[in-house]
Amino acid sequence: MRLRVIKAYFLKEMIELIRTKMITMPYLMPLLIVILFGYGIKMQVTGVRTLILDNDNSQISRKLILKFEHSKYFTTMVKNISEKDGLREIKKANIDALIIIPSSFEKNSLKGIKTEIGVFTDASFPSRATTISNYIQGVILDLANDFNIDDSGVININTRNLFNQALRDEEMIVPGLLGMVLLISPAILTALIIAKEKEMGTIFNFYSSSVSKGEFLVAKLSSIFFLVSINIFIVFLVASYLFDLPFRGSFFLFWLASEFYVFVALGFGLLVSIIASSQIVAIIVTLMLTIIPAFMYSGMIMPISSMSGEAFITAHIYPVMYYNHIIYDTFLIGQGFSSSTNILYLLLLFTYGVILFILGLLFLKKEIK
Amino acid sequence: MKIFITILLKELISFFRSFGLVILVIYFFTAEVYVAATGVEIEAKNVALGVVDKSAGGISKKILSNLHSPEFKTPKFYKSQKELSDAIYNKNIMVGMVFDEQFEKNYYKKLHPTVNILIDSTTASQSLMAIGYIQNIVMKFNNLKLPVELKMHKLFNQNAETKIFMGVSELLSVITLLTTILTAIAFVKEKESGTWDIMLLMPVNPKMIILAKSLSQIIIIMIGVVLSVGLVLFHSLDVPINGNLLHFFILTFFYVATTAGIGLFIAAVSKNIMQISQLSIVIMMPIIFLSGAWTPIYAMHPLLQYLSALAPLSYYIEGCQSIFFRGTSFIDLLPYFGGVLFLGVILYWYGFRKIGKLF
Amino acid sequence: MLEIKNLAVSHKKKIAIKKLNFQVNDGEIIGFIGADGAGKSSALNAIAGVIKFDGEIIYNDFSYKSPKEAEKVKHDIGYMPQGIGLVLYDTLTIKEHINFFVDIRDIKINKEFLEYKEHLLIMAGLENFLDRRAGDLSGGMMQKLSLVCTMLHRPKLLILDEPTTGVDPLSRIELWEILKQNAKEFNTISIISTAYMGEASKMDNILLFDEGEIIAKGTSSQLIEDIKPFVYENTETDKKHISISDTTYCLENLEIKHQKPTLESLFFVNALKKDKLLPKLQIAISKENMGENIVVMKASKVTKKFGDFYANKDVDCKLKSGEILGLLGANGAGKTTFIKMLLGLLPLDGGELKLFDKKIKNSEDRNELKSQIGYVSQHFALYDDMTVRENMMFFASIHKIDTKKTKQLINSYSKELGFEQYLDEMPKSLPLGINQRFSLAVSILHEPKVLFLDEPTSGVDAIARAQFWELLKELKNKRGISILITTHYMSEAEFCDRVVLLKDGQKIADDRVDNFYKKFPDAKSFEEIFLEYYR
Repeated sequence: MRLRVIKAYFLKEMIELIRTKMITMPYLMPLLIVILFGYGIKMQVTGVRTLILDNDNSQISRKLILKFEHSKYFTTMVKNISEKDGLREIKKANIDALIIIPSSFEKNSLKGIKTEIGVFTDASFPSRATTISNYIQGVILDLANDFNIDDSGVININTRNLFNQALRDEEMIVPGLLGMVLLISPAILTALIIAKEKEMGTIFNFYSSSVSKGEFLVAKLSSIFFLVSINIFIVFLVASYLFDLPFRGSFFLFWLASEFYVFVALGFGLLVSIIASSQIVAIIVTLMLTIIPAFMYSGMIMPISSMSGEAFITAHIYPVMYYNHIIYDTFLIGQGFSSSTNILYLLLLFTYGVILFILGLLFLKKEIK
Repeated sequence: MKIFITILLKELISFFRSFGLVILVIYFFTAEVYVAATGVEIEAKNVALGVVDKSAGGISKKILSNLHSPEFKTPKFYKSQKELSDAIYNKNIMVGMVFDEQFEKNYYKKLHPTVNILIDSTTASQSLMAIGYIQNIVMKFNNLKLPVELKMHKLFNQNAETKIFMGVSELLSVITLLTTILTAIAFVKEKESGTWDIMLLMPVNPKMIILAKSLSQIIIIMIGVVLSVGLVLFHSLDVPINGNLLHFFILTFFYVATTAGIGLFIAAVSKNIMQISQLSIVIMMPIIFLSGAWTPIYAMHPLLQYLSALAPLSYYIEGCQSIFFRGTSFIDLLPYFGGVLFLGVILYWYGFRKIGKLF
Repeated sequence: MLEIKNLAVSHKKKIAIKKLNFQVNDGEIIGFIGADGAGKSSALNAIAGVIKFDGEIIYNDFSYKSPKEAEKVKHDIGYMPQGIGLVLYDTLTIKEHINFFVDIRDIKINKEFLEYKEHLLIMAGLENFLDRRAGDLSGGMMQKLSLVCTMLHRPKLLILDEPTTGVDPLSRIELWEILKQNAKEFNTISIISTAYMGEASKMDNILLFDEGEIIAKGTSSQLIEDIKPFVYENTETDKKHISISDTTYCLENLEIKHQKPTLESLFFVNALKKDKLLPKLQIAISKENMGENIVVMKASKVTKKFGDFYANKDVDCKLKSGEILGLLGANGAGKTTFIKMLLGLLPLDGGELKLFDKKIKNSEDRNELKSQIGYVSQHFALYDDMTVRENMMFFASIHKIDTKKTKQLINSYSKELGFEQYLDEMPKSLPLGINQRFSLAVSILHEPKVLFLDEPTSGVDAIARAQFWELLKELKNKRGISILITTHYMSEAEFCDRVVLLKDGQKIADDRVDNFYKKFPDAKSFEEIFLEYYR
């Protein structure tokens, strides 16, 4: 491999990227996604718009209402309207939950007669509905506890939220976003810079000369690799400072895994560019190949441990899962190199990248198709 | 009038004869919606649970028997808390429960029995839900004096199935993205293949050309929507429709026209198809995002809530959710129609003018 | 020495070259001529090792049968594909290009090389523009730069695919000088395909391509000598013949005076030999006819700027009724910009434009006149996803022609212009000549008074080109239509009534064709005449 040849192509890519202003691409898009999604996706359910119809107006019912009002999970309103009107409010999407306290609530509960509180939740947003239901149940049971003077028989639940004690949305989502942007952006760029030469015709400079496939690929890939490597640091800074993510693991592991992961992303882009004859095709195919898996199989929305069957297998085929595991470790968990899983995944990423590169080398042909 | 129909027909023929585009549209309206619907599970389903049970008693087993599918996978048993911990650290399980040796005794003797739960809180919503679930189950084992029962009604989506919700959301996002792109392509394609000049020279009122072209794409999208609703939403995903389907189609039509306006704007400022794809994504992503498709608007940051009011998709999504799930009556749907129409007229008019300048 | 044995190339299931055999000796410059799609590019691609092929190529005793095998000789090959500035990177400067190619060709940098590099740059006239970006260069400069980059590593085998197409005549001569010198000094084998017969005639050997085969081989004089007996002055005869633009070609003996053949005649004789007779194209005479000597279009000091760059500067031009005006110039001279302004597609930055005595300033003015103007754009841009018939129906409908008349027009034009059998095919699959004629038909559906044609003969084979000009003459004579046509083929000037020559956005010549002949009695071709204006 002649360093001179590689240097020449590398330099040319840099000049072109700077002069066509495409150099902002590896930085702008990922930042946009990370910031938008990081701030936007709130899995935590708070401020649920709750309407309580109190048909009892007793001490106990008021106590119950107070509990709702004091909870950060609920934005409570109490109104004197009929059940039918209340349901209509849900249909109009003005409230998310309707709680109806029956008129004989206090009387019956003190006598030990079973009473029913009606709860209606808007399940159009199913996940939130389940969570809201659980919360409401929690409040009711909390009320129940208040009436139990003897609490020695009550089972105490000690919950420890590992890795993310405050249950911050950012800590759950942002590391996963890194896995997404560090896959999509380098892949698209790599696919583009090769497809562009094919589309413009300058690819003939490569075809008709004695530049070897390896030299060509190394040059092209290294230019993107270099640019994205800088982005790794930028994204890290955004995560740590803008989103206040803790960093409990090894930075070296983070950096190494990220570089390997970018290498894999380059491989994806490379393979796409071999079949794409124009830039537009390159973009579309790369997007189709990377966006969905990066999102679905990242473990961000759904943990891999909960997957079964095809989804489970597919998740294991894509590199996103392995990278995300390490990322979550370096930010939130903190095992670093002491975890054999981390080391295994690291090596897997590296091997993945190498395999893709070799495949690219094999399939790239120095001729017109 | 005849000329209008001629141009409309030409656009439709042109679309259906471009194999790649047709496949793309079919794919997005069918496979994409289906995969997104079934692939994403925000619920606590199939949660991997690990247990260390040193109590050797019946109560713990009873509690565990309540934690079953579909919410939980069969629990894995570990010998020590350390093993359990490691399993969580390695992401083999998401939740771990520990019953100590004294648990059974303490329960019966009323000596503050304790259960320890460890949760991997890096997994977004599942962890929150799993906690809630387990807490509620355990609570049931408490002998409480207050005989209060909750009668829970999950309205509109009985089993709170994510796939139903995701299916509709994804369809709406697909409609948004595709309408913009297809409308923009209808114009920029002419620029790229050199027929733009020919079009400018036709003795036809440019307004008619713009209308005909955008209407043709709107028609194509509507066909796609029918396809998607029929094949995917109703047939494969069993999405219920508690409201009136006709309302849905009318609302959709207005929304698509609105989005076409954005497409016109993009066509006016793009020189080639590459730019269209970039611009479309940059403009549509925030819109889709702010619209309440992923996070309800009332839960967003106040500033974002204001911005959301400007996005037509926000009204459309809530409107569609109301039609499909809440079964809202027409009168109560008017605010959605209003929002979409109002914004729609503005956006379409603006896009129309912008591209009209090129003629 | 280069030997080609049984070379065959097929591209996407279509056979591009059937079976080629020929030889080239060191120091020779050979030319490929033939229409687009005849197989020239495929042959060049195969020799350069950038496309799969069947057969064998032997270069200096090294034989290769595939691009992969060709790797070993690629360091000796210099290849320039078809298309202006195709191998250049828009945003890189000339200097950066040179450095790039020096590096990827792994050229040893020593005193000798640096002298050679300077020498090349000076020959190409680029030494003072080293910091200019490739995207800002004129067509001629781009090709010169491309050639320099291709020659930097002193390849012994130079393969150039239409390096001069669209380039101004002066630059073309300069390019030729560079090549000749190179061949002499370094004994390089140069294989060049060209669209200009004038260039071909200067080469050591010419290969004529048609439908994937070489149908004639030899020097210019040899080839002309060979067909001399078949070329006559225009006449009528019952025997199988082709008559076109003052010449009749016939394989049999006629009792008529012979005419001196040109290289283009080769194509007609070949068509005769293949038994391909040309349909007689004609246009039905129309009732309407404009008066004589009316000024249809008048441009005064028309100017168009793009930033600092003047695409057209102070251009004066007149088009009278019933005449064919040729707007000639190299790529980038401003021809297309001028036509676009005429059509109202581009706003004027200066000067005045009048069409049918009405001032045109913006698109509103243009609107009223649309029904009187016909236009054929470059590359015959018509709708690729509709058949010929559908295209015609579409445009007829746009021009508010009723269905019955439309059917009539489609019938008559397709017969008259000879594309009847292609009515239900897609434009993409048709030969350029057919597309040319049907684009013309589309442009006259609404019976316009003036036609604007933008490079309608680019890339079309010699026969189709000649036929096209016959058609234009018919239109002029039988319909009284005024025609403004742009072209980069200087030789086509002789078919026009008047010619305007553009260079770098400015007009450098404007006169009747016969006046040009009078001014330059010694000139052998229009090419030579215009060269004088370029100097």
